[in-house]
Amino acid sequence: MPRLPDGTPDLQGNWSNATMTPIVRPPGVAEILTSEQVSALEQGRQDFITSDYEDSDPERGAPPVGGELTGDPIFDAATGGTGGYNQFFVDAGDNIAIYDGEPRSSLIVYPEDGRRAAFTPEGERRVAERVAFNRQFNQYDNPENRPLAERCMMSFGSNGGPPMLPNYFYNNNYTIVQTPDAIMIMTEMVHDVRVIRMGEPRPLPEHMRPWLGDSWGRWDGDTLVIETTNIHPQQVLMGMSNASFYPSEDTRVIERLTRVSDDQMNYEFTIDDPTIFADQIRGEVPFNRLDGLLYEYACHEANYALENVLRGARSQEERERNENQQDRR
Amino acid sequence: MKRTALLIACTAMAVVVTAGPVDGHHAFGAEFDRDAPIRLAGPIVRLEWVNPHTWIHLEHTNEDGSKEVWMVEGGTPNVLLRRGLRRDCLTPGTEIIVDGYQAKDHSLPRANGRDITFTDGTKIFLGSSGTGAPYEAEMLAARRERGRC
Repeated sequence: MPRLPDGTPDLQGNWSNATMTPIVRPPGVAEILTSEQVSALEQGRQDFITSDYEDSDPERGAPPVGGELTGDPIFDAATGGTGGYNQFFVDAGDNIAIYDGEPRSSLIVYPEDGRRAAFTPEGERRVAERVAFNRQFNQYDNPENRPLAERCMMSFGSNGGPPMLPNYFYNNNYTIVQTPDAIMIMTEMVHDVRVIRMGEPRPLPEHMRPWLGDSWGRWDGDTLVIETTNIHPQQVLMGMSNASFYPSEDTRVIERLTRVSDDQMNYEFTIDDPTIFADQIRGEVPFNRLDGLLYEYACHEANYALENVLRGARSQEERERNENQQDRR
Repeated sequence: MKRTALLIACTAMAVVVTAGPVDGHHAFGAEFDRDAPIRLAGPIVRLEWVNPHTWIHLEHTNEDGSKEVWMVEGGTPNVLLRRGLRRDCLTPGTEIIVDGYQAKDHSLPRANGRDITFTDGTKIFLGSSGTGAPYEAEMLAARRERGRC
């Protein structure tokens, strides 16, 4: 166990939590995968990548009008059939997560079915309330109605944390810098930075709810324990999964980081919120040493996408108005 | 037809593999018009190797002979940088072919790079993530034999 001069475990350096293992376990799949399942999944991923790198027809024409749906409802909903971009831009993680030597089928390990805990009646009421509120607005009316990642406000998925989870696309990388007074965790995506104050908690007032919440830490033996409250009400937790949710004023996340070898840390998280959940949610994710650098992610620098999305909506509205006028004539 | 989708189901248990939306930073379905497919071909005139997504500018020749510079959106450059992208892999003047869909605002000469290749159909990059997996080594070796990055 590498240690700092003060004797605490040295967690510093660059780490990655990229993995093929999803946040939520698919129905009917066991928590621990067999070696045959792991081989089939990882081979399938390699085969897919290899096939995507095959040469294209240089005489190919434009893709079909109406887009090209794949049958994958999530993919089709996101791309609208436009196909996104080439696989060589993607670095989603080519391996199943191995945690304590076990190949895992989901990052959530409790509730035991690997899925998000049920909402309480109050939790369901808040979801319905948010849906009704959002229905008042067109999601393309203004930048504020667009997702935080599209606005370059935060990393997408749940990269920044808490909990810190992979986004299943790219840049699932973190830098940890450690001092006796504070531990900094920087996420490559949008450079979300968490500064975890060590020592006695000095909680923020209830009404102050910053992005990434308010975190403090302590050592429990060789494990760094991070407790976070006051998470911003617009920050989605456990994004990139059907377990995603908005935190309440009572959401508390406990994270535990333990270095288990030169190249791996065990990352555990517990989400505790009796206001909106009937039970806790717990997860386990391996963080592997990144043999490489983190690069600048200057998201605002060239965020043409937000402009394109909003201009596209205005343009589409104009086309529809013109069509309606022609119909009336 | 061969697809260039990002995270497609690859086995019977593929749902284990793919759990999220696929365009990362933002939804391409909101940005590009699936009823406006395009095929572009011509020399690169400018590279914006920037986040959140790369933009490649190329000079496309229209049917009437007029020339028009189009901007083509790709993914984050960080992945390519981490994989050791060489600047000489893709320089202004390089001829490429792009297929994709135009931005929903049709006054903009912008499109997504659903598939970006050199004129012989080879991909402009490969995606070695440096894991040392045999398939990566084989692909890269075969590619280098053809003089590609």
